[in-house]
Amino acid sequence: MAIVPDLSGALRSSIGKAKRRKLSQLEKKEMRWGLMFISPWIIGFLAFYLLPMIASFGFSLYDFNPAIPDQARFIGFANWQRALFQDAEVWRSLRRTIHFAAISLPISLLFALFLAILLNSENVLGRSIYRTLFYMPTMIPLVATVLIWNGVLNEQTGWINVIIERLTGIRATGTQGLRWLADPNLVYYAYTLFGLWGVGNAMIIFLAGLQGIPKELYEAAEIDGANWLQRLIFITIPLLTPVIFYQLVLGVIGSLQYFLAPFVLNNGTGFPEGMTRFFMVYFYKQSFTFFSMGYGATLAWLMLIIAMIITIVLFGTARYWVFYTTEER
Amino acid sequence: MKSFKLLFVSIMLMLAAVLNAACGSSPSTPSAQPTTAPASEPTQAVAPTQASAPTQSAASSRTKIRWFVGLGAGSDEGAIPAQNAFVERFNASQDKIELVIEIVDNNVAFDTLATQIAAGNAPCVVGPVGIRGRDSFKGAWLDLQPLIDKYNYDLSDFDPNLIKFYQVKEEGQLGIPFAIFPSFIIYNKDLFDEAGLPYPPAEHGAPWVDENGVEHEWNIETLTELAKKLTVDANGNDATSPNFDPQKIVQFGWMNQWTDPRGIGTFFGPGSLVDEKGNAQIPDHWKAAWKWTYDGWWKDWFIPNGPYGGADFLQGPGGPFSSGNLAMIHIHMWYVAPWALGNVDFDWNLAATPSYNGTITAKMHADTFGILKGCPYPDAAFEVLSHMLSAEHASELLTIYGGMPARLSLQPNYFQEYNKTSFPNKTDINWDVVVEAMKYADNPNHESWMPSFQETTDRYNEFWNYLANTPDADFEAEVAKLKADLQKIFDAAK
Repeated sequence: MAIVPDLSGALRSSIGKAKRRKLSQLEKKEMRWGLMFISPWIIGFLAFYLLPMIASFGFSLYDFNPAIPDQARFIGFANWQRALFQDAEVWRSLRRTIHFAAISLPISLLFALFLAILLNSENVLGRSIYRTLFYMPTMIPLVATVLIWNGVLNEQTGWINVIIERLTGIRATGTQGLRWLADPNLVYYAYTLFGLWGVGNAMIIFLAGLQGIPKELYEAAEIDGANWLQRLIFITIPLLTPVIFYQLVLGVIGSLQYFLAPFVLNNGTGFPEGMTRFFMVYFYKQSFTFFSMGYGATLAWLMLIIAMIITIVLFGTARYWVFYTTEER
Repeated sequence: MKSFKLLFVSIMLMLAAVLNAACGSSPSTPSAQPTTAPASEPTQAVAPTQASAPTQSAASSRTKIRWFVGLGAGSDEGAIPAQNAFVERFNASQDKIELVIEIVDNNVAFDTLATQIAAGNAPCVVGPVGIRGRDSFKGAWLDLQPLIDKYNYDLSDFDPNLIKFYQVKEEGQLGIPFAIFPSFIIYNKDLFDEAGLPYPPAEHGAPWVDENGVEHEWNIETLTELAKKLTVDANGNDATSPNFDPQKIVQFGWMNQWTDPRGIGTFFGPGSLVDEKGNAQIPDHWKAAWKWTYDGWWKDWFIPNGPYGGADFLQGPGGPFSSGNLAMIHIHMWYVAPWALGNVDFDWNLAATPSYNGTITAKMHADTFGILKGCPYPDAAFEVLSHMLSAEHASELLTIYGGMPARLSLQPNYFQEYNKTSFPNKTDINWDVVVEAMKYADNPNHESWMPSFQETTDRYNEFWNYLANTPDADFEAEVAKLKADLQKIFDAAK
């Protein structure tokens, strides 16, 4: 049983077969029809993805301000040189992004997994209701979520600080209180909290993975005397690794693209102390605030390259820890 | 096989049509029509464009002129219906031009306009726009002088200095004066009454007479003392009391509302972050103003700092002042409008700007409408502009934006009419303060051009945010760091 099919093997096999023999007339005809039927997607991809990507690479070779497009000039790889060797903020913003991802990604994944395991348990009454309730916040637009949490975490009047102060007597409100969104040491945890509210999607995917694990394995383990923790460590987690891998790859890419919360809350100023000037925020500022569209295109390409490298590395490590039930080892 | 070929050809034709529609119909960035063309009436000038104009309506033969609103005033909800009504009236009076208004929220207007310009889809008329908005699009504006000359536009009704205000070296006459927004103090009368304190003076240079009848020069020191008395904690102690609890403030005395470090620096006197050689500088009196504000945030507590800025008790439709828990602010004329002060549940009035070292500076905002170089119909756009700025119609727009007329002929009766329209139940507004404030306008203007305008703005706002949120900041070191960073930005722009 494969929870996530190993497509790479099937693809290798098909390519291998195609190399071995020539296609028949019928197969050629079928291939043409196949290509024709997917042509709307191919056309869409070419027109709306590939061509703009190529164009953006072209922009990266220009000094281009959209407000005065007639003054655009070709500058070769000067933007690339600036991004890679001269602009320290590029690497600082990337470091911040990775720092934030290192905090938020494990917390988000573990929380989603924890919820999924909890809501997969037969001992929980009203599981469907809880699943719905935990999923519901993901239906709220992220901008609204961020604004709501901005109020909840307000250092003066936010109810989290008010409750902490009333329950513990510690002064949590005021200028010396817990400044969730203004303290450089707390801000990443506060942003992670926004993300946890929208953890429903990840929870549902984990839940689907959990429900795909054969019950016989648990029954056999129980007969062998395995307790809950042992079943979790030796059955659930290994069989869930393809889903964890999938969530991890998406999570890493999502973290690299993190933008909305700092933009909505601070208009991309990087407040507090530049801590929220993530890579994509810096890209946005360069492109759409400073109107350095050529340099912005360079940063976008740089992010693509970085994301590709990280993804390739992740795929490289997958063979050591991701277990596909259909795979022979 | 035949059927496949037929289908393939059909798809390729469809693809070609889609690509043609996507790429072919929008013109590449149109260059401005030569504005030095032989003189002709505005209505004649637009005629040739009607035959194949891309923006021409099928239902109408009129030339469409797009009017972009959002870089300055005009995008708040209350102003939208009135602007739409203005457009409807204009269109009803026309058989050659159709005015199309695009109102974009201020916080996305800069991106939207830049995108439109880059896509070759620039609107023609943009405004109202201040100096900051104009300089954010440096190089994109059309020099109006050839059109002014071509149509013999009468500029005699404007102060010559105000006309010069819109002349930019190497770019030309980028605007015709429309509205001016002097600055002054607005105070909450109820909070003064509650504290038993006399109101600030309504005449520039006049002293403030305290509750004991003693006269004090109306300067920064007097303002500070007064603001401290009006800053109150949850126990009812004011900021001059030894029992005052700065962690539990419920009412503040002062704020330079909705301005930036350049605006706050100018409160102590005009200046610039750029010296004559194009290098970064921090004028001494600006540094003094920033230090005064920093101490007001963290030492004397009479100005809401960063943490207090987000507190519920300081929120209102017109920002902190309209919450009713802030006694005095320094702000521009555009704030004296129904959207900010129309529904507040307290009484208010206007007062004079205090002096710093014997000099009064009331920073000025000035708005106008510009025409973009990318406009395909500059003559028609100029006709629209002439209509908007005319003595007959400017008042309609001035009422919407709360601006004081730049036209000298409109100034005498303006406030009477504006009061009647905007605040019909209020009869005691000190409008003379506004007129007087014009004499104390800042030169150089606090919104003047700087190299890498947006990046510079971003950097000094970051500096300001840091100070507003950091009680134990090394003020001198931060100012030095700002200056060094600005120098780097300026050098990169050379």
